[in-house]
Amino acid sequence: MENILVMILSGGKGERLYPLTRDRAKPAVPFGGIYRIIDFTLSNCVNSGLRKIYLLTQYKSLSLERHIRLGWASIFKPQIKEFIATLPAQQRVTLNWYKGTADAVFQNIYSIQQERPNLILILSGDHIYKMDYRNMIRFHIKKKADITVGTVKVPIDEISRFGIVELNNDGGIVDFKEKPHQNNEQIKKNYTLASMGVYIFNTDVLVKETVEDAKRDSSHDFGKDIIPRMIPRKRVFGYIFDRDYWRDIGTIDAYWDTSMDLISPLPLLNLYEKNWPIFSFKPQLPPAKITLDVASQKSEIVNSIVSPGCIISGGYIKKSILSYNVHIQSNASVEESVLMNNVHIQKGCRVRRAIIDKGITLTEGTSIGYDKKDDKKNYFVSAKGIVVIPKTRVRGEKYV
Amino acid sequence: MESIMVVDDDDSIRCLYEQVLTDEGYEVVLAGSGLEAVKIFKKEKPDIVILDIRMPGMDGIELLGKVLDMDRKIPVIINSAYSMYKNNFLTWMADAYIIKSSDLTELKVKIRELLDTRKK
Repeated sequence: MENILVMILSGGKGERLYPLTRDRAKPAVPFGGIYRIIDFTLSNCVNSGLRKIYLLTQYKSLSLERHIRLGWASIFKPQIKEFIATLPAQQRVTLNWYKGTADAVFQNIYSIQQERPNLILILSGDHIYKMDYRNMIRFHIKKKADITVGTVKVPIDEISRFGIVELNNDGGIVDFKEKPHQNNEQIKKNYTLASMGVYIFNTDVLVKETVEDAKRDSSHDFGKDIIPRMIPRKRVFGYIFDRDYWRDIGTIDAYWDTSMDLISPLPLLNLYEKNWPIFSFKPQLPPAKITLDVASQKSEIVNSIVSPGCIISGGYIKKSILSYNVHIQSNASVEESVLMNNVHIQKGCRVRRAIIDKGITLTEGTSIGYDKKDDKKNYFVSAKGIVVIPKTRVRGEKYV
Repeated sequence: MESIMVVDDDDSIRCLYEQVLTDEGYEVVLAGSGLEAVKIFKKEKPDIVILDIRMPGMDGIELLGKVLDMDRKIPVIINSAYSMYKNNFLTWMADAYIIKSSDLTELKVKIRELLDTRKK
């Protein structure tokens, strides 16, 4: 395998994922019961044999750094030059915050120089997908490319959310437009190719391009600035990702949709593939326990994920994700919801289409997701009507 | 008048460059170390910087980062007796890398070229 360095861009503010990003960086947002968003990209790296990884961080990175230290550091062996390390906007080259994705790389030329890899794989820390990067690396080498952009098919009506790529017959990129409006020609097609924010660069090309970009008036962004400028004068290729599941968790609704993708009987995103494990930090917790509610003689869980440490003592749970140590008491119902660590749902509560962040206790009889007016008055409600209850600021604070 | 900052720890080089570049019609400011250069750069705001790499204390590579931090667009020429730093990605942040020579033609041509590009 070539000497490849991975740089994962993890510094975005995640404003559209607020309030889940109120106290943490977007890649550190819990996802899928026992994971955090970043675990999917990191697992892709490890499963692809890539073990030299820098995470470029800046906003609210404490919980992300703790997660990396606890869950990931130990599976890298420094003795054989493997590493995972965070690079905060670290004032090594300049004193500034990262001004954009390309600037984040520019500001870490020092670390690139330390490693001197042949190729650099640039990834985003906030996407959910399973991808073997080795196929794309082989493609890059075969095409003798300067840069290869990972692309995925997206429906034509969603193009304004993505960087849209047009390829020639050889796989060369002839056009790249960041978040374009639909035009008539495009509407005729069913799908188009979107950039996944996954790039392989020859290292010398990456350094030259980011240095050049740093000295221009630009938004210092790979999609908006670097790639469009490279197309006419460099070997720019597009690799088509052949598995169709790839999600950018940009908004609360996207977070909820992607969560729901995990729990159907035949899930769009399968966590149970033995040859592609998703790694994470796993605390020592007792198994989940489900008991019979004596009063109602019922305790029903369907199409849901239940994590270790959970105690379900009655109630009805449907299409939901329960993270570590969630307690559900009798006569409670939870539907189409995501409950994060240590959420306690007391007797008779009703929760529907909600995301409840860590440590929240819903006191007896609380109802969420049933009265739009009431929800909007008390909680954050997304465009699609998903109710979000953010983390408590006070330990033991309860919601009524 | 366009101004050039020359950073070199070697007195004779500073002296030579000052003479030659003044004759070319530039205003020349001199710094004998990286730290001094940072102070002078802030005060004098030169139009272009020529810097040596091997200097005691703050070397030219570190200084390059500091200069770009103060002005991302300032043209910088690395002027070293050694070619080995050409492979160091950090030196790629400069606009040119010219090996020291008794003949300063290449340096003078590059200075003119970078200043003209900047004007555009």
